[in-house]
Amino acid sequence: MFFQIVRKEILESLLSVRFALSILFTIILFAASTFFFVERYREQSEDYWRRHNENLSGFREQTDQLCNIAFYEQHIYRKPKVLSLCASGAEQRLPGHFTFDGFDIGLPQIVGQSNFTLPRFGDLDWAWIISLVLSFTVFVFAYDCVCGEREKGTLRLILAGATPRATLLLAKYAGLILTLAIPLFLGLFISMIILIASGTESVGFIRWESVVVVVLTSFLYLSIFVFLGIFVSARTSNSSNSMAALLFIWVVLLLLIPSLGRVISDRFYHAATTEEFERAKSQARKSIDDRFYAGAYGSKASGTAPNRDDPDVDPPGRARYTVDETAAINRVVDAQYNRMLAQAEAGRAFIYISPAVVYRRICEVMAGTGIDRSKSLYRQIKRYQQNLREYILSEDQGDLGSLHLLFDDKARVTGWTTISHKSVNFDTVPKFQERDLGLGESLRLAVWDIGVLALFNLVFFAAAFVSFLRYDVR
Amino acid sequence: MIWKIAKKEFLLNLMTFKFAVGAVACIVLTAVFMPILAADYRQRLETYNGNVADNEAEIRNVIVYRNIRHTIYRPPAVLSAFSAGLEKQLAGSAKIELEKVPELSVTQRGGNPYLPILAVFDQSLIFKIIISILALLVAYDMVSGEREQGTLKLVLSGTIARHQVLLGKLIAGLITLSVPVIIIFVVGLVVLLSYPMVALSGSDWIRVGLMLVASLAFTVVMYQFGLLFSSLARRSAISMVLGLFIWIIFAIVIPNASVHLATQFRPLESPEKRDSRVISLKDDLANELGNVKVDSSGSLITSDERDAFGGYYAKRRDIYWLNAEQKLNSLTIPIKLRYADKSLSIEQSNLNSFFAQKDLARMLSFVSPISTYENTMAVLAGTDITSFVDFINQVRAHRNEVVEYIRSKTDNFSSASFFAICSEEESAEFTRLFLQVHQAKDEQAKASAEQALKEWERENPVKAEPLNLQDFPWFKYRPSPAADLRKAMPDLAALLIMNVVLFGMCFAAFARYDVR
Repeated sequence: MFFQIVRKEILESLLSVRFALSILFTIILFAASTFFFVERYREQSEDYWRRHNENLSGFREQTDQLCNIAFYEQHIYRKPKVLSLCASGAEQRLPGHFTFDGFDIGLPQIVGQSNFTLPRFGDLDWAWIISLVLSFTVFVFAYDCVCGEREKGTLRLILAGATPRATLLLAKYAGLILTLAIPLFLGLFISMIILIASGTESVGFIRWESVVVVVLTSFLYLSIFVFLGIFVSARTSNSSNSMAALLFIWVVLLLLIPSLGRVISDRFYHAATTEEFERAKSQARKSIDDRFYAGAYGSKASGTAPNRDDPDVDPPGRARYTVDETAAINRVVDAQYNRMLAQAEAGRAFIYISPAVVYRRICEVMAGTGIDRSKSLYRQIKRYQQNLREYILSEDQGDLGSLHLLFDDKARVTGWTTISHKSVNFDTVPKFQERDLGLGESLRLAVWDIGVLALFNLVFFAAAFVSFLRYDVR
Repeated sequence: MIWKIAKKEFLLNLMTFKFAVGAVACIVLTAVFMPILAADYRQRLETYNGNVADNEAEIRNVIVYRNIRHTIYRPPAVLSAFSAGLEKQLAGSAKIELEKVPELSVTQRGGNPYLPILAVFDQSLIFKIIISILALLVAYDMVSGEREQGTLKLVLSGTIARHQVLLGKLIAGLITLSVPVIIIFVVGLVVLLSYPMVALSGSDWIRVGLMLVASLAFTVVMYQFGLLFSSLARRSAISMVLGLFIWIIFAIVIPNASVHLATQFRPLESPEKRDSRVISLKDDLANELGNVKVDSSGSLITSDERDAFGGYYAKRRDIYWLNAEQKLNSLTIPIKLRYADKSLSIEQSNLNSFFAQKDLARMLSFVSPISTYENTMAVLAGTDITSFVDFINQVRAHRNEVVEYIRSKTDNFSSASFFAICSEEESAEFTRLFLQVHQAKDEQAKASAEQALKEWERENPVKAEPLNLQDFPWFKYRPSPAADLRKAMPDLAALLIMNVVLFGMCFAAFARYDVR
């Protein structure tokens, strides 16, 4: 009986206008999103490799003297990813340009220029299509699944037989999910065909396991709306009321709640403005300078004579002063960076009650994009900076003429030879390489979000089940 | 008869569940979020007032003319709570400098770059999302629903003409949907005005009035779409599905796709190309400045002090240096001003590619009444891009006034007051006494020269007094309501035309509707 009802539900849906419209709609959107993506990805990849090679050749030029390596300002750009087709994570609007040398790292910058006169919208990716358009389609399919049958009188007929309500409910659920699987798989299939046919080089490096997780999560996400649709349909006596209630829920969950994040973060969190940030840096510099003038680094730390053997200079004292000043400024930069992230994350935490936000986050984690990637990249660059310093100091140990002092004052470091002037083999110098999260790590990050989606499913399943058991079929 | 039908339909609508849910949702959302939006406006206004006060205090402490480098801030739009537009993307401040003409890109907000991941909420979101859906839900079964119930056959079997029925239904829809629209405006305004720092001027009230007209026109457009589908479909379920799909196209697909298509078809000028032009211009400037030869070899001493806006002024200088610097300024500042204009033209060409993209996106989105409505609201609220362009144009005009002011006060940048507080006479005397000390032949002569210099310095102390800015051309931002209204007219007219066209289509569909 279960399979008979499922088959009936699918066949009924297949012949409806809404199915035809949703198929058409989904295919157009998936195809358009992939066309846009392929074009953008190609441009981004070209830009990325050009900038990457420029940075590397500049870095190579510094290896004629070990001391120069630490002072070379490196430019690291976020590498475009093929999986951003699944979830771009608003990366185009997020900072993806990191500038640093061996001592300090600036605040991340936006790559290239974006048209600030245009309104900001979500990127047309799989996550966007599924979270907004397909969830809407679910309601269009589900709004009359119980009350519509009551209006037609067929529900009474079915339940008059031996079919238990639970079987009917599960069959309806299965019928709806399978019906939705058709536009979803068709859309994904077309998207992949376009991507492969486009000859995009990185297609071979796609982590297919992540794609599978995204697809499975999509079903988990859409399942929430199916249960919600059945629940509302089983709570209302006519289909127009059911549609009105579902539309209201859709608008609140997918449009209103996500748009409140900015209001909340602006209202309750404050990240320093550019002026305040600059003031904090000056203050940090001043506090070290005060200690400097008070003699905390020795009386000769201010000496800058070109000869390190000059009795008026004190290289270790000067180094301590510079290192402390760099550390103080780095602390201010770190604090500002953390505050900016906290402000954005607070807004996002507030809108976490929307399943669409949870779903998009899972897709971003699996695709390795979004704000989490931005954070990871910043962390990796900081670690690399540390490794680079350690490398310089270890190489410097071999030069007996060097003072082995590394600090952010090029004139002094080179003039006093506090770090070796010998050349180094470029191949031995550590180069920055972004490390993507492994599947296990990504899943570990996403597991709580997947749990939240499962919880939503459980709650709405229980609600739909209880409502349908108590539904008055007359 | 039209009124009777309208009254019946209105009363029927009022008692429906969908109307109750939609109307209550709109009112509750307005009541809950308007205080947050109003508080947000107040916070921005306080920041603006603080910035303006700090800036004015600093400008009143400027010692020499070259350090008049103040910042102009754009006040937040009071109606931004109704339509945020670009207010959260652009900060609206520009620095006045001799070497640079302010252009639009300087108004970009330099704050937290991670915030764009969060969408912006405003009052127009309630209209473009909830009210538009409500309009479709009210209208979808107006014709097909009556056919299903059999009442349409009864009504049309009498003497009532079809156009009367349609007009009655249209009027009923207008009156029904006016109820939540007007309530939202009233609640929104009451909450906004209850905040002490918020005040609406006469032109603001006109803007609010036009916003209400635009909201009603937009609501009726969406209602007529529902009515059209209801007159085209035989079953109300189908008309609803059609209405909802067209809604998602208007609300979600077109606004997003138009931006994506515009960025695809009209790509921006590459930053590298622009940067190379800027670098080449800077090189030209450096070359031209390098060609200015001023002999300053006779200069003796330097003595600078900190001035406002991070600048410096010359405190006491020798006459050779003073004359050299005067000559240098009179020759180089006009060159810098000329290059500032050239640099602006490069920025303008870059901005033109931005505007071309924006215009294309706007043109593509014109088919969606939701996008048209959004544009109208942003223009009327004074938060769209044109209001920022208007601001920057006023700042540019102010910069020209400031340049002319400094030019007139400093004799074409050649007077000492441009960069120093010492006059030529003082410097000449100071130089004479200073040279006496350094050219003294013996210790006694040196001591007496030093004594003379000290006495002169005691009698002529350095007077670092702020500039007298009585006739300074202070900046006052004047939003131009008439221009804004003119800019809003095409979109407003488009909404009205959409109404007329849709009514014609509804009429054609209903006239041919098979009531059986």
